[in-house]
Amino acid sequence: MTAWKRFLDRFLLLDLFAGLSITGRALFRKKETVQYPEERLAPAHRFRGMFRLDEERCIKCNLCAIDCPIDIIYIDWHQELNEATGKKEKKLDRFDIDLQRCMFCGLCETGCPTEPKSIWLTTKTYELATYDRWQNLYADKEQLEGWRGRPAYTDEEIAK
Amino acid sequence: MSLPFGLEALRAAAGDTLFYFAISPALKILGLVFLAILPVITYLVLAERKILGFLQVRVGPNRVGPWGLLQPIADVMKLLVKEDTIPSRAVRWAFVLAPCLVVAPALVIFSVVPVGPPSSTPGGLSGFVTDIDTGVLFVIAVATIGVYGLILGGWSSNNKFSLMGGLRAAAQMISYEVPQGLALVGPLMLAGTMSMVGIVEAQRGARIWYVFPQLISFFIYMVAGVAETNRNPFDLPEAESELVAGFHTEYSGMRFALFFLGEYANMIAVSAVATTLFLGGWLRPFPSVAWLSPLDVVPGAIWFALKVFVFLFVYIWFRGTFPRYRFDQLMALGWKWMLPLALANIFVTALIKLWLAR
Amino acid sequence: MSTPNGAPDPSSDRLFTGEEMELSFGPQHPATHGVLRLNLKIEGERIVGCYPIIGYLHRGTEKLFELHPFFQNVPHTDRMDYIAAATNNLAYVGAVEKLVGLTVPPRARYIRTILAELQRISSHLVWLATHAIDIGAMTPFFYCFRERERVLDLFEQYCGARLTLNCMRPGGLPFDLPAGWADTCRRFCEDYPAKIDEYEGLLTENRIWKRRTVGVGVLSPEAALDLGVTGPMLRASGIGFDLRKVRPYEAYGEVEFAVPTAQNGDTYDRYIVRMAEMRESTKIVLQCLDLLPATEGGPIMAKRPRVLKGPKGEVYHGIEGPKGEIGFYIVGDGTPNPYRCHVRPPSFMNLQSLPDLANGHLVADLVALIGSTDIVLGEVDR
Repeated sequence: MTAWKRFLDRFLLLDLFAGLSITGRALFRKKETVQYPEERLAPAHRFRGMFRLDEERCIKCNLCAIDCPIDIIYIDWHQELNEATGKKEKKLDRFDIDLQRCMFCGLCETGCPTEPKSIWLTTKTYELATYDRWQNLYADKEQLEGWRGRPAYTDEEIAK
Repeated sequence: MSLPFGLEALRAAAGDTLFYFAISPALKILGLVFLAILPVITYLVLAERKILGFLQVRVGPNRVGPWGLLQPIADVMKLLVKEDTIPSRAVRWAFVLAPCLVVAPALVIFSVVPVGPPSSTPGGLSGFVTDIDTGVLFVIAVATIGVYGLILGGWSSNNKFSLMGGLRAAAQMISYEVPQGLALVGPLMLAGTMSMVGIVEAQRGARIWYVFPQLISFFIYMVAGVAETNRNPFDLPEAESELVAGFHTEYSGMRFALFFLGEYANMIAVSAVATTLFLGGWLRPFPSVAWLSPLDVVPGAIWFALKVFVFLFVYIWFRGTFPRYRFDQLMALGWKWMLPLALANIFVTALIKLWLAR
Repeated sequence: MSTPNGAPDPSSDRLFTGEEMELSFGPQHPATHGVLRLNLKIEGERIVGCYPIIGYLHRGTEKLFELHPFFQNVPHTDRMDYIAAATNNLAYVGAVEKLVGLTVPPRARYIRTILAELQRISSHLVWLATHAIDIGAMTPFFYCFRERERVLDLFEQYCGARLTLNCMRPGGLPFDLPAGWADTCRRFCEDYPAKIDEYEGLLTENRIWKRRTVGVGVLSPEAALDLGVTGPMLRASGIGFDLRKVRPYEAYGEVEFAVPTAQNGDTYDRYIVRMAEMRESTKIVLQCLDLLPATEGGPIMAKRPRVLKGPKGEVYHGIEGPKGEIGFYIVGDGTPNPYRCHVRPPSFMNLQSLPDLANGHLVADLVALIGSTDIVLGEVDR
């Protein structure tokens, strides 16, 4: 029986027809294409997108810079006297992230000790392309805070 | 007795002889090529991309024009404005001639393929450019000329890999010409004539499309046709995962477009010949069944076009489904399986015909 | 035939001497899966010599490991075998845990097993897609990537990234599963075997596929052991060595699964073994998902100091990645940074078998062989 079946299989090309039927059925299935930019896929809640910095929450502890595996966070701060409360506090001068090298691994976010976190990546923004190659090399303090011109899906206040 | 489109006046002016021997065929050829074949080829490119996309659960091109309908125009414009390079040590005359030698035979085949019935009135518009008594032989002979284009293209590029690719493509095409020709002998025997119009009329007379009695012949012709046009699963000469990019490596711009035009024209030509010989040409389904005669209002050309489109769809379906044969397996298939099968088919057909004629 | 110094051999019975041509296959080539360069010596169509040249993707990963503390090196491991980042992470954190002496809590172990098996499915999908398209079948590519999208979505919901996951830490996991993740995962695993049937329907019995892959690149078991080949390549040659069974790690000791093997060691058998492995992975994930609710609310990180100091000593920890045994050899010296961290990449060892496999085959088979060895150049070059 099996020899006869093998002979039939060979000459009736049943395996080829089986393949054709699989692709033929695919003709009528719903297409998987997402028509970007009219439709976009929404990233997940924990998606590691572009950064957001909150300067008031930041305690300038430098832990995010220490934790970065490629050392691309540059922080400068100085102490100055706050007139209103009469206490000395740290003021952030510079908080730059080298966007050329950042791999969005999220270790800076995990390292931040404040509650809620002062730097976080779950902004769901992945559309960081610019038309000018000199535009997006470094993300400085204002860019990270203000999000000038960047589309953001949601404004996540809490990282996790 | 009057011809459409104001040709009556032209006939009166030129005289009957000149009109019927020169002007009418020339007009038919030009009309056929520029109004029918070339648009179909360019839109076949789009159809292939869309259908392949649908087979692969994605949408094909849909940005340029609604449903991508302007995409072929965009492609043609792009190819026209590309830089036309000729390698410095290439053989110029062969380099320039090769694409033409691929396209021209494919287009010439259409001059004997009938898309519609002969005109019912003498001197009227018939559905073919000309009908010669050895139509099938003409088709086979002209199709073989296309191989020269490949060889010349591969050799003239002054590129080791083009040469290898071109030789391989030529070897593949030549070795599948033999089973293809032998497969065509089957319907010839049943019809008793080599004229293309005659074969379709014989199918009407026999009340059956020749695909049913000659199934093996049809199958061999289909497979050989896919191999002739270098399509998947026999597209090793032009597959990019193979080492040699094939005979058209050094071609750019419109010359490259001509090679592809030739390939698609060949596809349509093979489909057209298969339709004429096996699927009844311009006949409607069940041509002799009287109660289906309301379908006669559909002109024969439409039936022909539908059948050719079925073939083209099957070509594209094959491309989307099957892996590629390796070159030695391809040649083995052609010589060891297709050829004996075609010969056996002729033998059996002849025996049955003899027995039926007793 | 020519003698070693190039002169034609008068004793050969070939009438015409073939010309040997040297050809550089790559580094830029659609079929070499990365920047692999193969110097081929071919005679007509037959390959008589194949010399891989690697190093085009070398990024100094092993040196980078020495510059940062243990937990900061996890993103670097993602980028070695970029198709299977979770198993890279797992090997590394497993090695660190072995060095420092951490015990991973059960919930973390189950989740890590689930992530590793999902990654195995994703890696095999990429393998199937690229292997099929190299041999000419274009549609499995799209079908496989459609399934892979679902796996990547699962990863994205868990850790925020799709490819370079950074999803494990020494001692456990950075976060717990989000709500509903287990159900999505279960639904994927229940849908998935039907999809594998679809790919198999397109390829396994297809005569063209069989002709391209049966008998191509036969690797004998002895040669496989000599060359240090591991993973599906080894199992397709008949040796049923799987680190998940031999030295169970994570939760593999608690789940039941089979280790598929095949007899002939050719490309077709490697294909069969990997397809069967995808089915087994689905079973493992479903079993781990069943074991998860028992550990609900448990810890996902071992008790450990914030800064891990590696004690003086060395450790090697290997796991069964999708491509073979991926191992980390870490030498600690009392500081938070490793003193030396060497990677045993499976693709590097498997690549060594390619010249032997390719000898005598046609150039078209070479493409099938490269796909069948399933190499990722990020791992080969690090």
